[in-house]
Amino acid sequence: MTCSERVLITRKIDSSFTNHKTHESSILVSESKRWGKMNKVRLLLTLVTIAIVVVPLVGMVLAYQDNLVDLFIPPEMTEMAEDFFGGEGIDGSGIEPPTMVGEPEYNAATRTFSISFQFENPFPMDITIKSLTGNIECAEHRFHLGVASISEPVSIDAGETGTLTVLGTWTLEAISHFESEHGDEELVDAVLLDLVVDISGLQLELGQGNMEQSIQVPNPSLME
Amino acid sequence: MNSILTKFNWFALAGGITTLLLIAVSLVYPWWQLTVGDDLLTVDASPINMNLGFLDSSFTIPFIWALNMISILSLLASGITMLIYSIIPRKSYSKHLLDFGYKKPLYTILFFAIGLVATTMICQTVLNFSIPLIGSTTSTLSIPFVSGMTLTVLLSAGFQWSFLLAAVAAGLCIAARIYHKKVAHAESSVSITAAPEAVSPSIPATR
Repeated sequence: MTCSERVLITRKIDSSFTNHKTHESSILVSESKRWGKMNKVRLLLTLVTIAIVVVPLVGMVLAYQDNLVDLFIPPEMTEMAEDFFGGEGIDGSGIEPPTMVGEPEYNAATRTFSISFQFENPFPMDITIKSLTGNIECAEHRFHLGVASISEPVSIDAGETGTLTVLGTWTLEAISHFESEHGDEELVDAVLLDLVVDISGLQLELGQGNMEQSIQVPNPSLME
Repeated sequence: MNSILTKFNWFALAGGITTLLLIAVSLVYPWWQLTVGDDLLTVDASPINMNLGFLDSSFTIPFIWALNMISILSLLASGITMLIYSIIPRKSYSKHLLDFGYKKPLYTILFFAIGLVATTMICQTVLNFSIPLIGSTTSTLSIPFVSGMTLTVLLSAGFQWSFLLAAVAAGLCIAARIYHKKVAHAESSVSITAAPEAVSPSIPATR
Protein backbone atom coordinates (compact mmCIF):
# COMPACT_ATOMS: atom_id res chain seq x y z
CA MET A 1 0.00 0.00 0.00
CA THR A 2 1.33 3.36 -1.00
CA CYS A 3 1.32 6.39 1.26
CA SER A 4 -1.41 8.13 -0.72
CA GLU A 5 -3.56 4.99 -0.46
CA ARG A 6 -3.08 4.95 3.32
CA VAL A 7 -4.15 8.59 3.62
CA LEU A 8 -7.23 7.86 1.55
CA ILE A 9 -8.21 4.94 3.79
CA THR A 10 -7.64 7.04 6.90
CA ARG A 11 -9.84 9.79 5.43
CA LYS A 12 -12.50 7.25 4.66
CA ILE A 13 -12.41 5.85 8.21
CA ASP A 14 -12.34 9.33 9.72
CA SER A 15 -15.19 10.46 7.53
CA SER A 16 -17.24 7.41 8.60
CA PHE A 17 -16.36 8.06 12.25
CA THR A 18 -17.48 11.73 11.99
CA ASN A 19 -20.79 10.65 10.39
CA HIS A 20 -21.31 8.14 13.18
CA LYS A 21 -20.78 10.88 15.75
CA THR A 22 -23.24 13.13 13.93
CA HIS A 23 -25.79 10.32 13.81
CA GLU A 24 -25.29 9.63 17.53
CA SER A 25 -25.77 13.27 18.45
CA SER A 26 -28.91 13.45 16.31
CA ILE A 27 -30.23 10.37 18.16
CA LEU A 28 -29.45 12.11 21.45
CA VAL A 29 -31.32 15.23 20.34
CA SER A 30 -34.36 13.23 19.22
CA GLU A 31 -34.25 11.20 22.48
CA SER A 32 -34.16 14.36 24.54
CA LYS A 33 -37.09 15.75 22.50
CA ARG A 34 -38.96 12.47 23.09
CA TRP A 35 -38.29 12.65 26.82
CA GLY A 36 -39.37 16.28 26.85
CA LYS A 37 -42.64 15.38 25.12
CA MET A 38 -43.20 12.48 27.50
CA ASN A 39 -42.57 14.66 30.52
CA LYS A 40 -44.93 17.31 29.15
CA VAL A 41 -47.69 14.70 28.68
CA ARG A 42 -47.02 13.26 32.13
CA LEU A 43 -47.15 16.71 33.72
CA LEU A 44 -50.31 17.61 31.82
CA LEU A 45 -52.04 14.38 32.94
CA THR A 46 -50.98 14.94 36.55
CA LEU A 47 -52.34 18.49 36.45
CA VAL A 48 -55.60 17.22 34.93
CA THR A 49 -55.93 14.63 37.73
CA ILE A 50 -55.35 17.26 40.41
CA ALA A 51 -57.77 19.71 38.77
CA ILE A 52 -60.47 17.03 38.43
CA VAL A 53 -60.35 16.32 42.17
CA VAL A 54 -59.67 19.77 43.58
CA VAL A 55 -61.89 22.07 41.48
CA PRO A 56 -65.31 20.50 42.28
CA LEU A 57 -64.52 20.11 46.00
CA VAL A 58 -63.09 23.60 46.45
CA GLY A 59 -65.88 25.09 44.33
CA MET A 60 -68.54 23.41 46.46
CA VAL A 61 -66.89 24.42 49.74
CA LEU A 62 -66.65 28.03 48.51
CA ALA A 63 -70.29 27.98 47.43
CA TYR A 64 -71.40 26.77 50.87
CA GLN A 65 -68.77 28.56 52.96
CA ASP A 66 -71.45 30.51 54.86
CA ASN A 67 -73.22 27.34 55.99
CA LEU A 68 -71.14 24.21 55.71
CA VAL A 69 -73.90 22.04 57.24
CA ASP A 70 -75.95 22.58 54.08
CA LEU A 71 -73.09 20.96 52.19
CA PHE A 72 -74.05 17.63 53.77
CA ILE A 73 -77.73 18.13 54.67
CA PRO A 74 -79.67 20.15 52.11
CA PRO A 75 -82.25 22.61 53.55
CA GLU A 76 -85.13 20.83 51.77
CA MET A 77 -84.29 17.68 53.71
CA THR A 78 -84.28 19.59 57.03
CA GLU A 79 -87.65 21.16 56.21
CA MET A 80 -89.16 17.79 55.42
CA ALA A 81 -87.79 16.28 58.64
CA GLU A 82 -89.33 19.20 60.57
CA ASP A 83 -92.65 18.57 58.83
CA PHE A 84 -92.52 14.97 59.99
CA PHE A 85 -91.11 15.18 63.46
CA GLY A 86 -91.40 18.86 64.41
CA GLY A 87 -95.16 18.99 65.01
CA GLU A 88 -96.96 19.37 68.28
CA GLY A 89 -98.55 15.93 68.25
CA ILE A 90 -97.58 12.86 70.21
CA ASP A 91 -94.07 13.34 71.60
CA GLY A 92 -93.38 15.93 68.93
CA SER A 93 -93.99 13.44 66.14
CA GLY A 94 -96.58 15.67 64.43
CA ILE A 95 -99.12 12.86 64.52
CA GLU A 96 -102.43 13.69 66.21
CA PRO A 97 -104.48 10.80 67.61
CA PRO A 98 -107.60 9.97 65.59
CA THR A 99 -110.94 11.21 66.93
CA MET A 100 -113.96 8.93 67.20
CA VAL A 101 -116.99 9.92 65.15
CA GLY A 102 -120.54 8.57 65.20
CA GLU A 103 -121.93 5.74 67.30
CA PRO A 104 -120.23 2.36 67.53
CA GLU A 105 -122.13 -0.53 65.95
CA TYR A 106 -122.28 -4.09 67.24
CA ASN A 107 -123.22 -7.40 65.62
CA ALA A 108 -124.07 -9.92 68.34
CA ALA A 109 -124.06 -12.90 66.00
CA THR A 110 -120.44 -12.43 64.95
CA ARG A 111 -119.32 -10.62 68.15
CA THR A 112 -117.95 -7.85 65.92
CA PHE A 113 -118.26 -4.13 66.28
CA SER A 114 -117.26 -1.16 64.13
CA ILE A 115 -116.10 2.28 65.19
CA SER A 116 -115.34 5.19 62.83
CA PHE A 117 -112.41 7.55 63.40
CA GLN A 118 -111.33 10.72 61.70
CA PHE A 119 -107.60 10.99 61.14
CA GLU A 120 -105.78 14.06 59.89
CA ASN A 121 -102.84 13.36 57.62
CA PRO A 122 -100.02 15.44 59.17
CA PHE A 123 -97.51 14.61 56.47
CA PRO A 124 -96.74 16.88 53.52
CA MET A 125 -97.71 14.09 51.12
CA ASP A 126 -100.64 11.86 50.25
CA ILE A 127 -100.67 8.64 52.24
CA THR A 128 -102.41 5.29 51.99
CA ILE A 129 -103.12 3.52 55.25
CA LYS A 130 -102.90 -0.05 54.03
CA SER A 131 -103.59 -1.68 57.36
CA LEU A 132 -104.09 -0.83 61.00
CA THR A 133 -104.22 -3.34 63.81
CA GLY A 134 -104.34 -2.93 67.56
CA ASN A 135 -105.50 -4.39 70.83
CA ILE A 136 -108.52 -3.25 72.84
CA GLU A 137 -108.35 -3.24 76.61
CA CYS A 138 -110.86 -2.36 79.27
CA ALA A 139 -109.75 1.06 80.54
CA GLU A 140 -110.74 0.33 84.12
CA HIS A 141 -109.44 -3.24 84.55
CA ARG A 142 -106.80 -3.32 81.78
CA PHE A 143 -108.43 -6.54 80.61
CA HIS A 144 -107.78 -7.64 77.05
CA LEU A 145 -111.08 -7.51 75.16
CA GLY A 146 -110.15 -8.22 71.58
CA VAL A 147 -108.36 -7.02 68.49
CA ALA A 148 -109.19 -4.29 66.02
CA SER A 149 -108.26 -3.60 62.40
CA ILE A 150 -109.41 -1.34 59.58
CA SER A 151 -111.91 -2.74 57.11
CA GLU A 152 -110.16 -1.52 53.95
CA PRO A 153 -107.14 0.61 52.92
CA VAL A 154 -107.77 4.36 53.17
CA SER A 155 -106.06 7.07 51.12
CA ILE A 156 -105.78 10.52 52.67
CA ASP A 157 -104.36 13.54 50.82
CA ALA A 158 -101.70 15.73 52.41
CA GLY A 159 -103.15 17.81 55.25
CA GLU A 160 -106.64 16.34 54.68
CA THR A 161 -108.78 14.33 57.09
CA GLY A 162 -109.99 10.83 56.24
CA THR A 163 -112.38 8.42 57.91
CA LEU A 164 -111.10 5.08 59.14
CA THR A 165 -113.59 2.37 60.00
CA VAL A 166 -112.14 0.05 62.61
CA LEU A 167 -113.59 -3.41 62.97
CA GLY A 168 -113.14 -5.33 66.22
CA THR A 169 -114.00 -8.76 67.49
CA TRP A 170 -114.61 -9.50 71.16
CA THR A 171 -113.15 -12.64 72.66
CA LEU A 172 -115.38 -15.03 74.63
CA GLU A 173 -113.53 -13.96 77.78
CA ALA A 174 -114.32 -10.33 76.89
CA ILE A 175 -118.05 -11.13 76.71
CA SER A 176 -117.80 -12.72 80.17
CA HIS A 177 -115.85 -9.68 81.41
CA PHE A 178 -118.53 -7.30 80.10
CA GLU A 179 -121.22 -9.40 81.80
CA SER A 180 -119.45 -9.71 85.14
CA GLU A 181 -117.75 -6.32 85.53
CA HIS A 182 -119.81 -3.92 83.40
CA GLY A 183 -123.22 -5.60 83.44
CA ASP A 184 -125.17 -2.37 83.99
CA GLU A 185 -123.13 -0.02 81.72
CA GLU A 186 -124.46 0.69 78.24
CA LEU A 187 -121.10 2.10 77.03
CA VAL A 188 -117.82 0.84 78.44
CA ASP A 189 -114.60 2.86 78.51
CA ALA A 190 -111.86 1.07 76.61
CA VAL A 191 -108.49 1.87 75.10
CA LEU A 192 -107.09 1.06 71.68
CA LEU A 193 -103.37 0.38 72.05
CA ASP A 194 -100.35 -1.37 70.53
CA LEU A 195 -101.27 0.08 67.18
CA VAL A 196 -99.42 -1.06 64.11
CA VAL A 197 -100.11 1.17 61.11
CA ASP A 198 -98.91 0.35 57.60
CA ILE A 199 -98.54 3.59 55.68
CA SER A 200 -97.38 3.04 52.10
CA GLY A 201 -95.31 0.03 53.13
CA LEU A 202 -93.82 1.76 56.17
CA GLN A 203 -94.99 0.01 59.31
CA LEU A 204 -95.30 2.36 62.27
CA GLU A 205 -95.47 0.50 65.56
CA LEU A 206 -96.74 2.47 68.52
CA GLY A 207 -95.62 0.70 71.66
CA GLN A 208 -97.08 0.98 75.13
CA GLY A 209 -97.72 4.53 76.26
CA ASN A 210 -97.88 5.89 72.72
CA MET A 211 -101.13 6.88 71.11
CA GLU A 212 -103.46 5.08 73.51
CA GLN A 213 -106.77 5.97 71.98
CA SER A 214 -109.64 6.19 74.47
CA ILE A 215 -112.87 4.87 73.04
CA GLN A 216 -116.30 3.98 74.31
CA VAL A 217 -117.59 0.62 73.15
CA PRO A 218 -121.19 -0.65 73.34
CA ASN A 219 -121.63 -3.29 76.02
CA PRO A 220 -122.24 -6.53 74.10
CA SER A 221 -123.88 -8.21 77.12
CA LEU A 222 -126.75 -5.68 76.94
CA MET A 223 -127.12 -5.95 73.16
CA GLU A 224 -127.63 -9.70 72.81
CA MET B 1 -53.66 -8.66 9.20
CA ASN B 2 -51.38 -8.92 12.22
CA SER B 3 -50.18 -5.35 11.67
CA ILE B 4 -53.78 -4.08 11.67
CA LEU B 5 -54.40 -5.94 14.93
CA THR B 6 -51.33 -4.43 16.54
CA LYS B 7 -51.45 -1.00 14.90
CA PHE B 8 -54.29 0.05 17.20
CA ASN B 9 -55.14 -1.06 20.70
CA TRP B 10 -58.64 -2.33 20.06
CA PHE B 11 -59.32 -3.07 23.72
CA ALA B 12 -58.50 0.55 24.56
CA LEU B 13 -60.81 1.73 21.80
CA ALA B 14 -63.65 -0.46 23.14
CA GLY B 15 -62.79 0.53 26.72
CA GLY B 16 -62.83 4.25 25.88
CA ILE B 17 -66.15 4.03 24.05
CA THR B 18 -67.68 1.93 26.86
CA THR B 19 -66.43 4.39 29.48
CA LEU B 20 -67.99 7.34 27.66
CA LEU B 21 -71.18 5.33 27.17
CA LEU B 22 -71.14 4.48 30.87
CA ILE B 23 -71.19 8.18 31.80
CA ALA B 24 -74.25 8.81 29.61
CA VAL B 25 -76.06 5.70 30.87
CA SER B 26 -75.26 6.35 34.55
CA LEU B 27 -76.86 9.79 34.40
CA VAL B 28 -80.19 8.03 33.86
CA TYR B 29 -79.80 4.52 35.27
CA PRO B 30 -78.31 4.02 38.75
CA TRP B 31 -75.71 1.37 39.49
CA TRP B 32 -77.45 0.37 42.71
CA GLN B 33 -80.98 1.03 43.83
CA LEU B 34 -82.63 0.85 47.24
CA THR B 35 -86.39 0.97 47.68
CA VAL B 36 -87.99 1.52 51.07
CA GLY B 37 -91.61 0.49 51.52
CA ASP B 38 -93.87 0.89 48.49
CA ASP B 39 -91.57 3.34 46.68
CA LEU B 40 -91.84 5.57 49.76
CA LEU B 41 -88.11 6.26 49.65
CA THR B 42 -85.77 5.41 46.81
CA VAL B 43 -82.01 5.75 46.72
CA ASP B 44 -80.50 5.77 43.24
CA ALA B 45 -76.79 5.43 43.69
CA SER B 46 -73.94 5.61 41.24
CA PRO B 47 -70.65 7.51 41.27
CA ILE B 48 -72.08 9.63 38.44
CA ASN B 49 -75.45 10.50 39.89
CA MET B 50 -76.67 10.02 43.44
CA ASN B 51 -80.29 10.79 44.08
CA LEU B 52 -82.54 10.45 47.12
CA GLY B 53 -86.22 10.29 46.29
CA PHE B 54 -88.94 10.69 48.88
CA LEU B 55 -92.29 10.14 47.13
CA ASP B 56 -92.52 13.07 44.71
CA SER B 57 -89.54 14.95 46.14
CA SER B 58 -85.93 14.30 45.29
CA PHE B 59 -82.84 15.51 47.09
CA THR B 60 -79.26 16.00 46.07
CA ILE B 61 -76.61 16.36 48.74
CA PRO B 62 -74.13 19.04 47.58
CA PHE B 63 -71.07 17.19 48.87
CA ILE B 64 -72.15 14.01 47.09
CA TRP B 65 -72.82 16.10 43.98
CA ALA B 66 -69.21 17.33 44.11
CA LEU B 67 -68.03 13.72 44.35
CA ASN B 68 -70.27 12.87 41.39
CA MET B 69 -68.65 15.68 39.42
CA ILE B 70 -65.20 14.28 40.23
CA SER B 71 -66.30 10.87 38.97
CA ILE B 72 -67.85 12.29 35.79
CA LEU B 73 -64.75 14.35 34.95
CA SER B 74 -62.46 11.50 35.88
CA LEU B 75 -64.27 8.97 33.69
CA LEU B 76 -64.59 11.53 30.88
CA ALA B 77 -60.84 12.14 30.97
CA SER B 78 -60.25 8.40 31.12
CA GLY B 79 -62.52 7.68 28.15
CA ILE B 80 -61.02 10.42 25.98
CA THR B 81 -57.46 9.43 26.91
CA MET B 82 -58.14 5.78 26.14
CA LEU B 83 -59.55 6.73 22.74
CA ILE B 84 -56.51 8.88 21.92
CA TYR B 85 -54.14 6.16 23.13
CA SER B 86 -55.95 3.44 21.17
CA ILE B 87 -55.19 5.29 17.89
CA ILE B 88 -51.55 6.05 18.71
CA PRO B 89 -50.40 3.22 20.98
CA ARG B 90 -46.76 3.35 19.77
CA LYS B 91 -45.91 6.93 20.50
CA SER B 92 -43.35 7.64 23.18
CA TYR B 93 -45.99 9.18 25.46
CA SER B 94 -48.69 6.56 24.75
CA LYS B 95 -47.83 4.55 27.84
CA HIS B 96 -48.54 7.63 29.97
CA LEU B 97 -51.92 8.10 28.31
CA LEU B 98 -52.73 4.45 28.94
CA ASP B 99 -51.61 4.54 32.57
CA PHE B 100 -53.70 7.66 33.11
CA GLY B 101 -56.81 6.20 31.52
CA TYR B 102 -57.06 2.50 32.24
CA LYS B 103 -57.16 2.63 36.06
CA LYS B 104 -59.96 5.14 36.48
CA PRO B 105 -63.01 2.95 35.69
CA LEU B 106 -61.61 0.26 37.99
CA TYR B 107 -60.95 2.75 40.80
CA THR B 108 -64.42 4.23 40.34
CA ILE B 109 -66.02 0.80 40.77
CA LEU B 110 -63.82 -0.01 43.77
CA PHE B 111 -64.51 3.32 45.53
CA PHE B 112 -68.24 2.96 44.85
CA ALA B 113 -68.38 -0.62 46.17
CA ILE B 114 -66.29 0.25 49.24
CA GLY B 115 -68.45 3.33 49.92
CA LEU B 116 -71.63 1.29 49.61
CA VAL B 117 -70.42 -1.46 51.93
CA ALA B 118 -69.11 1.12 54.43
CA THR B 119 -72.43 3.00 54.44
CA THR B 120 -74.47 -0.14 55.07
CA MET B 121 -72.06 -1.20 57.83
CA ILE B 122 -72.25 2.26 59.47
CA CYS B 123 -76.07 2.13 59.34
CA GLN B 124 -75.96 -1.32 60.93
CA THR B 125 -73.49 -0.32 63.64
CA VAL B 126 -74.61 3.20 64.52
CA LEU B 127 -78.36 3.10 63.85
CA ASN B 128 -78.82 -0.66 64.26
CA PHE B 129 -80.64 -0.55 60.95
CA SER B 130 -79.72 -3.15 58.38
CA ILE B 131 -79.68 -2.22 54.71
CA PRO B 132 -79.26 -5.07 52.24
CA LEU B 133 -76.79 -4.75 49.40
CA ILE B 134 -78.71 -7.30 47.34
CA GLY B 135 -82.18 -8.68 48.01
CA SER B 136 -84.87 -7.75 50.51
CA THR B 137 -84.98 -7.47 54.27
CA THR B 138 -87.28 -6.08 56.91
CA SER B 139 -85.59 -3.58 59.18
CA THR B 140 -86.74 -1.92 62.35
CA LEU B 141 -85.72 1.58 63.38
CA SER B 142 -86.51 3.37 66.61
CA ILE B 143 -87.69 6.92 66.00
CA PRO B 144 -85.37 9.32 67.81
CA PHE B 145 -86.90 11.38 70.65
CA VAL B 146 -90.15 9.38 70.45
CA SER B 147 -90.07 6.60 73.03
CA GLY B 148 -91.66 3.29 72.19
CA MET B 149 -92.35 4.19 68.57
CA THR B 150 -90.65 2.05 65.98
CA LEU B 151 -90.65 1.96 62.21
CA THR B 152 -90.54 -1.34 60.40
CA VAL B 153 -89.91 -1.23 56.69
CA LEU B 154 -89.28 -3.59 53.85
CA LEU B 155 -86.06 -2.69 52.08
CA SER B 156 -85.25 -4.01 48.64
CA ALA B 157 -81.91 -3.37 47.03
CA GLY B 158 -79.92 -4.57 44.08
CA PHE B 159 -77.26 -3.76 41.55
CA GLN B 160 -78.58 -2.66 38.18
CA TRP B 161 -77.37 -3.49 34.65
CA SER B 162 -75.43 -0.21 34.48
CA PHE B 163 -73.12 -1.59 37.19
CA LEU B 164 -72.36 -4.50 34.86
CA LEU B 165 -71.59 -2.00 32.11
CA ALA B 166 -69.13 -0.33 34.50
CA ALA B 167 -67.51 -3.71 35.16
CA VAL B 168 -67.25 -4.32 31.41
CA ALA B 169 -65.65 -0.88 30.90
CA ALA B 170 -63.13 -1.56 33.68
CA GLY B 171 -62.42 -5.02 32.25
CA LEU B 172 -61.81 -3.67 28.75
CA CYS B 173 -59.45 -1.00 30.12
CA ILE B 174 -57.45 -3.63 32.02
CA ALA B 175 -57.39 -5.79 28.87
CA ALA B 176 -56.07 -2.74 27.00
CA ARG B 177 -53.19 -2.50 29.49
CA ILE B 178 -52.35 -6.17 28.99
CA TYR B 179 -52.72 -5.87 25.20
CA HIS B 180 -50.37 -2.88 25.24
CA LYS B 181 -47.44 -5.28 25.82
CA LYS B 182 -48.29 -7.02 22.56
CA VAL B 183 -48.62 -3.70 20.71
CA ALA B 184 -45.33 -2.42 22.12
CA HIS B 185 -43.60 -5.74 21.35
CA ALA B 186 -44.93 -5.64 17.79
CA GLU B 187 -43.51 -2.12 17.47
CA SER B 188 -40.01 -3.16 18.50
CA SER B 189 -40.00 -6.26 16.23
CA VAL B 190 -41.23 -4.13 13.31
CA SER B 191 -38.49 -1.55 13.88
CA ILE B 192 -35.79 -4.23 14.10
CA THR B 193 -36.87 -5.98 10.91
CA ALA B 194 -37.44 -2.71 9.09
CA ALA B 195 -34.06 -1.24 10.00
CA PRO B 196 -31.70 -1.12 7.00
CA GLU B 197 -28.65 -3.28 7.19
CA ALA B 198 -25.69 -1.32 8.37
CA VAL B 199 -22.80 -1.39 5.91
CA SER B 200 -19.61 -1.43 7.83
CA PRO B 201 -16.63 0.00 6.00
CA SER B 202 -14.16 -2.67 5.07
CA ILE B 203 -10.83 -2.11 6.64
CA PRO B 204 -8.07 -3.69 4.73
CA ALA B 205 -5.72 -5.75 6.71
CA THR B 206 -2.41 -4.13 7.33
CA ARG B 207 0.55 -5.90 6.06
